[in-house]
Amino acid sequence: MVFSSLLFLFAYLAVTLFLYYLIPNIKYRNWVLFIVSMLFYGWGEPLYILVMLASITEAYVFGFFIDKHRETNIKKARLYMALSLIMNLAALLFFKYCNFFIENLRLLPFLTDAIAPIEGLKLPIGISFYTFQIMSYTIDLYRGQTEVQKNFVAFGTYVTLFPQLIAGPIVRYRDVDDQLMTRKETIDLFGSGTRRFVVGLAKKVIIGDACAAYYEYFKASDAFADSTAGAWMVMIFYTLHIYYDFSGYSDMAIGLGRMIGFRFLENFNYPYISKSITEFWRRWHMSLGTWFKEYVYIPLGGNRVGKLKQYRNIAVVWLLTGFWHGANWNYILWGVYFGVILMAEKTFLLSALKKTPAFVQHIYSLLLIGFGWIIFSFTDAAAGINCFTSLFGIGTSTFCTPTIGYQILRSLPLLVIGAIGSTPLPKKIWDKLCTVDWLSVGAIREDGTEEPIYMEEKELSVRGKVFAGLTTAGTIAVFVVCVAYLVDSTFSPFLYFIF
Amino acid sequence: MKFNRIINITTSALFAAIIFAFAVAFVIVPDSDFSEEENRSLTTFPKFTWEALLDGSFSSKINEYFADQFPARNSLVGIKGVTETAFGKGENNGVLLGKDGQLAVRLFTIFKSRLERVADMDYFVPETVTLSVDALNAWAKSSTVPVATILPPRTVDVAASAFSYPTEISDSLQTLLAETIVPEANYIDLLPMMREKYDAGEYVYLRTDHHWTTYGAYIAYTELMKSWGLEADILPMDAFSVETVENFYGTTWSKSGYKFIEPETLEVWTAGNEDRFTTSCISEKQVKGDDGKPVAVKEAYKTFSGWLDRSFLDQKDKYGAFLSGTHNEQTVFLDGGDTGRERLLIVKDSFAHTMVPFLAQHFDLVIINLAAKVANITDYVEEYGCDRVVVVYNWANLIENNNMAAVQ
Repeated sequence: MVFSSLLFLFAYLAVTLFLYYLIPNIKYRNWVLFIVSMLFYGWGEPLYILVMLASITEAYVFGFFIDKHRETNIKKARLYMALSLIMNLAALLFFKYCNFFIENLRLLPFLTDAIAPIEGLKLPIGISFYTFQIMSYTIDLYRGQTEVQKNFVAFGTYVTLFPQLIAGPIVRYRDVDDQLMTRKETIDLFGSGTRRFVVGLAKKVIIGDACAAYYEYFKASDAFADSTAGAWMVMIFYTLHIYYDFSGYSDMAIGLGRMIGFRFLENFNYPYISKSITEFWRRWHMSLGTWFKEYVYIPLGGNRVGKLKQYRNIAVVWLLTGFWHGANWNYILWGVYFGVILMAEKTFLLSALKKTPAFVQHIYSLLLIGFGWIIFSFTDAAAGINCFTSLFGIGTSTFCTPTIGYQILRSLPLLVIGAIGSTPLPKKIWDKLCTVDWLSVGAIREDGTEEPIYMEEKELSVRGKVFAGLTTAGTIAVFVVCVAYLVDSTFSPFLYFIF
Repeated sequence: MKFNRIINITTSALFAAIIFAFAVAFVIVPDSDFSEEENRSLTTFPKFTWEALLDGSFSSKINEYFADQFPARNSLVGIKGVTETAFGKGENNGVLLGKDGQLAVRLFTIFKSRLERVADMDYFVPETVTLSVDALNAWAKSSTVPVATILPPRTVDVAASAFSYPTEISDSLQTLLAETIVPEANYIDLLPMMREKYDAGEYVYLRTDHHWTTYGAYIAYTELMKSWGLEADILPMDAFSVETVENFYGTTWSKSGYKFIEPETLEVWTAGNEDRFTTSCISEKQVKGDDGKPVAVKEAYKTFSGWLDRSFLDQKDKYGAFLSGTHNEQTVFLDGGDTGRERLLIVKDSFAHTMVPFLAQHFDLVIINLAAKVANITDYVEEYGCDRVVVVYNWANLIENNNMAAVQ
């Protein structure tokens, strides 16, 4: 199930919230969450619940072994940790990467007939996310950074929790371990969660999906009129689409979490205002970056090793980051692409960049990010290369056609709204007008500081009160508009002449 | 209680109220089977089986069911239409919003090959069109009776000026057709004339529907008669009295979600002699012949006087009144048996329906739906003893499918 569906909002969420708040005790509330989250997960693919439950059970059981030996026999504890991680990764490798390896191995002449891809193997949704979450528990437990979780339902709730189950953020166990048994739901937290959820829903449904439609249009138009302007639009609208889609989803997850008393770390921090790629990756999909830093980069020695090893560490992390995004060469290339840029920035580029004016740094970053999205979005290498060269007028037959020009003009308002909306500007202005940050309740800042779950009882000025009212009315209005978009997408008038 | 606490309570309560209200309304409001506005059947509650649950088909049907039966669907679609206008997009769901409430479908579902869907596009794939044209050419060359081909352009081709929409694609499709259709097919290119009349403010194409108006169909009729050298027989406009049907909202309006657009008037032109004609809708079924082998027998499953099924005029799908909607095979004959009139075979899509009132004055009509691909044209010509054939198939169909390739 996805958040941006009528069934989720008006059947699933309605029932879940009702049951959750009907039950007074946190222990049974976890039961509710565990069960409804599995329904959420199994909605499209019921059998894959078993795969997930196996991973959960395995990590839960091994958690006891690791905990038992951690202080007395670190070698044994390490062995159990390794076993647990291997089993977890095995599921991920099998379901996500197995056929990719087989298909590539078959390119070797002597293996072509020897092996065949496994048929009917579908990727269990969210497996990349929940596998990483489970691993964070196992590793942190071994490191002594968290306590063993003896309650199976609590552990199961952590892994399956529907807000972050299928598209992140990747929540580290130690960041929520105390919330599993002692979280507190407040009306302020619920209100803030509602606003955050609606913001995310609007980002996805109103802007993200529209950008996706323009992206599809411009991409398809290439077959009819390969224009330079069209290629730029492909890049720009994919850049906007993926940000609004993904960060919108994270916003919804964070908002839903707050509605049931959970506080998650932020996952995006206005990535497109970055002045370098190094900065971009500190702002984009932060939970993934943190995960790789914590569990791959630092264990490999991080920055505290010789120059050569440092580059090796960067290379490993970015190869894995790319590959994590999908079992295809373009994702690997995408990871390598950023790995190389980051190494270059580390050696000389960053210090050189700092000497240039800010707008140069922004253009540099946005272009490299955009090129990256071309690699990311085209699984077909030839089409990707064609789109990239078209940006520079190579191989195109025209700069722009009247029809593409017309389409660009029509999509311009969305482009501008999308661009402005990806900066902190709208929020800054609104917060200033409100004199309060209506989204702050329960937020966890980048530096780890937690905003309180009760709103500061500040005396509001008249303006503050007016804008508080507008914020409420706006939240509800935008929600209704989002519902209208969702309904419209299922509305399919039957045109008579098709017959 | 402090003010910001009240705000948070209000926000939370309103949000919860909306989701619970819709959830409760969904349960209470009885399911409907048909959506007039979309002109299609709605999904009802699927049958539960364990197999369907495990392979995921049950849940995807529930998704459809939930979406189809969602309360206040039509009003919510309107909210999206308004919002999109506020974004300055000038179009919604692939429908352009133009001057004076003129709507036109701009994006069409086109295919690269027979199966691979490209996208909803304004461009067309020349190969798809050529496939149809080749079949048309081959058939026209071999035809033993006079032929004419009318390919009505789309609203977006005719009314481009209402949207300041570039005509390059329309023009290239027009050129492709003009250059590749052989003279034997007697192709009548209506675009220049329709566009000129539209730009002069004449009501040739509907505002809210993808069809032409009855007046537009009259123009097509006169051009058809001229192409066969029958100018002298053309009935003048004043031979018909115009009956207007108010409150017509067409399919383009439904697709657009622009609920604020005014309805339009559908015209029904009558010559006063309609009761002397009978329309029959015909199907073929297999029966046991004398020798025990199955033979195909044709029978009329619906007949009515004239060519207008007035029951449609009270519904949303008013255009369906012409010929009572789409049927695979129909005849419109003058009562009283063989009258010595010529027989005209119309191989068509729904654009032909509004031409029938005019053509029936001159010919006994045999009408077959091109998309149904029941048999080839020559067989119909022989079966009914037709004296002429006209193909009426609009551009949207021409670029979206290659059903016409079956005429051969």
